[in-house]
Amino acid sequence: MKKLIYKFALLAALLVLMNWIYGKFFYKADLLKHSDEVQLSWKVAEDSCVIVYTGESSNHTYSWNDKDQRKISDFIFDHFPDVKCGDMTKNASHGEVYYYLLKSIPEDSPVKTVIVTMNLRSFGYGWIESDLETPIQKQLVLLKDAPPLFNRFRLAFKDYEIVTNEERGERRMAHRHDDPLVFPYEFPYHTNYEWDYATNEKGILNEDGTRNKELSFLAITYIQNFGFQIHDDNPRLKDFDNIVELAHQRHWNLIFNLLAENVEQARELVGDDIVFLMRQNRDYLVNRYGNLENVTIVDNLEAVPDIYFRDRDWTTEHYTEQGRHIIADNVAKALQP
Amino acid sequence: MLFNSIEYVIFLPIVVMLFYLLPHSFRWMMLLVASCTFYMWFVPKYILILLITIIVDYSAGILMEKHADNHKIKKRYLVISIVSTCLVLFIFKYLGFVNDNLILLCKSLNIKYNTVIHLILPIGLSFHTFQSMSYVIEVYRGNQKAERNFGIYSLYVMFFPQLVTGPIERPGNLLRQLREEKKFEYDNISKGFRLIIFGLFIKMVVADNVGEYVDMIYAEPSKYSSWDIILGMFFYSFQIYGDFFGYSTIALGSAKLMGFDITDNFNTPYLSKSIAEFWHRWHISLSTWFRDYVYFPLGGSRVKFGRWAFNIMVVFVLSGIWHGAAWNFLIWGAAHGLLHIIEKAILNHLPKRENKGKLERFVVDAFKIAKTFILVTLFWSMFRATSFANISDLFTSLVNNFGVTEHLHIDSSIWIYLGLFILLDVLLFNTRFDKWCDNRPAVVRWAIYFVLIFMIIACSSVNNFPFIYFQF
Repeated sequence: MKKLIYKFALLAALLVLMNWIYGKFFYKADLLKHSDEVQLSWKVAEDSCVIVYTGESSNHTYSWNDKDQRKISDFIFDHFPDVKCGDMTKNASHGEVYYYLLKSIPEDSPVKTVIVTMNLRSFGYGWIESDLETPIQKQLVLLKDAPPLFNRFRLAFKDYEIVTNEERGERRMAHRHDDPLVFPYEFPYHTNYEWDYATNEKGILNEDGTRNKELSFLAITYIQNFGFQIHDDNPRLKDFDNIVELAHQRHWNLIFNLLAENVEQARELVGDDIVFLMRQNRDYLVNRYGNLENVTIVDNLEAVPDIYFRDRDWTTEHYTEQGRHIIADNVAKALQP
Repeated sequence: MLFNSIEYVIFLPIVVMLFYLLPHSFRWMMLLVASCTFYMWFVPKYILILLITIIVDYSAGILMEKHADNHKIKKRYLVISIVSTCLVLFIFKYLGFVNDNLILLCKSLNIKYNTVIHLILPIGLSFHTFQSMSYVIEVYRGNQKAERNFGIYSLYVMFFPQLVTGPIERPGNLLRQLREEKKFEYDNISKGFRLIIFGLFIKMVVADNVGEYVDMIYAEPSKYSSWDIILGMFFYSFQIYGDFFGYSTIALGSAKLMGFDITDNFNTPYLSKSIAEFWHRWHISLSTWFRDYVYFPLGGSRVKFGRWAFNIMVVFVLSGIWHGAAWNFLIWGAAHGLLHIIEKAILNHLPKRENKGKLERFVVDAFKIAKTFILVTLFWSMFRATSFANISDLFTSLVNNFGVTEHLHIDSSIWIYLGLFILLDVLLFNTRFDKWCDNRPAVVRWAIYFVLIFMIIACSSVNNFPFIYFQF
C-alpha cells in the first residue's frame, strides 16, 4: 500500500508538470481549435476596448435593403466616438456563452463598460434545450475555471452534457407539458402544451374562413417561445447572476440590453395573454437586475414596432436599420454619464 | 457507461476500492450491483432482456446437471436453452433484417406486404448471449459444474469490464475466478493501470483521431482522390483495430485492477502472414468460440478438403452475420472464408522449401504480411460502408479518381499517433503491454506513462466516437 501511495504521489507530480507543458505549448492552439469564440475576447483586449458589447444574431442585420448595414453595437459606439469600443458577437449565444467570453477578457484590460444582450426568449426551454446546446456546451469546456490540463481532460472524457436532439425534444416537450402557467385571471389552459394545442386546433383563419397555415404556425411559435414564466430556478438566471458577479469583481459598469420582441404581432396572432406573460417575465428580470449596484437594465421589450422586425415567419429578434437604431439609442442613453 | 467517459473515470476507482474493502463473501454482490449500474447507464430497460437469458441458461445448467445420466433429457435442456437464447438474439438483431428482405421479396413477387419492424439492438447482446451459451454448452459437455448461486452466475454474464464488447469469456476462466478470493496486490494495480492507459491511448488518440478522416471519406467518396480513398481505407483498418483493441485492453485492465485475468482478444493481428493467422490474432475470444462450438463439432480440419472448406465457410459466414444483420457483413465473412480456403489450397500445392536464408525469409514474410494486411483492409471497407451504394461509390472513386488534384489535408499529428501505435504494436508482438513494461527500467516505464497520459488528455479527439463494436 505504501508503494502505491508513493506511486500516486509521483503521478500527481507528473500531472502538475503535464499541466505546465500543456498550458505553455498546447492550450492556446486547442482554444483556437475547439473554442474559437475566445478570439473575440482576445480581440477586445488587443484593441484596448473600454466599452464591450456582447450579442448574438440580433446584433447583425439580415435586412439586406438597409442603407446602413452596421450592427446595433456600431450604432451604440457612434455615440462615443472618442472611446475605444468592441463587440463580441456570436450567433445563437446566450447568457452562459457571454459569461465565459467576458471572463476570458484579461483582467488587466481597460474595459469599463460591458453591454450584455438579454434575450427574453433565451429564458424559455425552447432555447435552453435547443439542439445547438450540446455543441455550445462542448465549446465552453476549455474556458471553464480550472487548470488547462483538467479542462482538456474534461473535453477528452466528454464531461459536458451530451444530449441527442431527440432527447432535447423530449425535454422541451416535458416542460411544455408539465410547467404550470399561472395567470392572475381566469385562463382556460394550464400548460403551454394545452394552450399551443388549442390554438393549433382553432388555427388562424383567412377572410374566406380557410385556415391560414403560415399565420397559424407563427401563432403557435409565439406560444412555444414566449408562453412560459420565469421563476427563481430558471437555469438561465444563474448565467446572468454570474455575469453580475464577474462585473462586480472587475468593477465594470454592466448594462443588460433586454431585446425588443414583436409584441404587436404576438398580440395580433395570440392575444393579450401572451403579451401578459412577456411583460411579466420582463418585469421579473427588471426587478431582479435593475436595482443592483452598477447594473442597468435597458428595457427594449416593446420599443420596436412591428414594421421594424425583419422576419415575418418566425419570432426572431432580427431588426431593420430603424429597429436597430431604436435599440442602440436606448442603450446609448443609459450609457450617458 | 463508456470506458472513455468521465463517469467511468469516477466509477472504476470506487468499485475497485469497495472491492478490496469488502470481505470476500460480499464482493460478488457489490460487483453485480456495479455491473447492473454500468449496463443500465445506457438504456435501463434492456437489462430485462439480459435477465431473461440469465434465468433461462442458469436454470438449464442446473437441470442438465440434475439429469446428467439421461442424455436425452440433458440434450433437450441444452436445445431449449440455446434456442431461447438465439431467439432473443434473432428477435432483436435479425428480425428487422429478415423482415426487410421479406418486404423486398414480396415487392418483387407483387405481394402486398410492407410491415416495417424496427427494434433497437440492446448494447452488447451478441457478446453476452454467446458468453451465456458457452456456459450451457460447457455444462452439457460436463466440463463445467452448474453454478448454483444465481447471483454469481448473473455476474459471470454481466461482469462489467467485458459486458458490452467482450472478450467473450468461458466459464472455466471467469466463473472460477469469481469464486476465488482476491488479495490486494500492487502488481495487479500496476498492470491494470498500464493496460487502461494503453487502451485509452489507442482508442482516444489513435482510433478516434483517424476516425474523423474515415468519416469524411466514407461519407462522400466521390469527392476525394484515389489516394485519399486508399488512405481512408488504411485509416479505417487502424480505426477499427485501435477502437476494439483499445476497448478490450481497457476491459483487461479494469478486471486486472481487481485481480481478474480475462482473455486476451488481440495479438498483433496486422503482422499476420495469412488470413488464417489473422483470425488467430484478431478477436481471439470470438474466433475460439466459433472454433470450439461450431468448427470442431462440424468436424474441424480432420476431414476431406471439400468438407473442411464447407466447415470453414459455415464458420466465417456465421461470424459475418454475428457482427451485423446486413448483407455486407455476411459477404465480408464469406470473403474471409473464401480467402482462407484459397490460401490453404495454394499452400497444399506449393512445394515446401527449407533452409531459406535470413534475408529471403524476411522478404517473403514481409510480402505475406503486406498481402494479408491489404486484403484485410480491402475487406474492412465492406464492414465500414453504410450500404452497397456506398461500397460501389468507394470502389468506383478508388479506380477513377486518380486525376482528382484536391487532396484531403491530414494533420501531421495523425502520423505521429499512428507511427507511435504501429511501433508499440510491433514491439508487443506475441506479448502484452503490461508484461512488456515489466522488462523496462522504471525510468523508461514512467516516461512511457507520462507520454501516454499526456497524449490521452491533450491529443485525444474531442468528437464523440462510440465504440464500433457496440453496435454488435
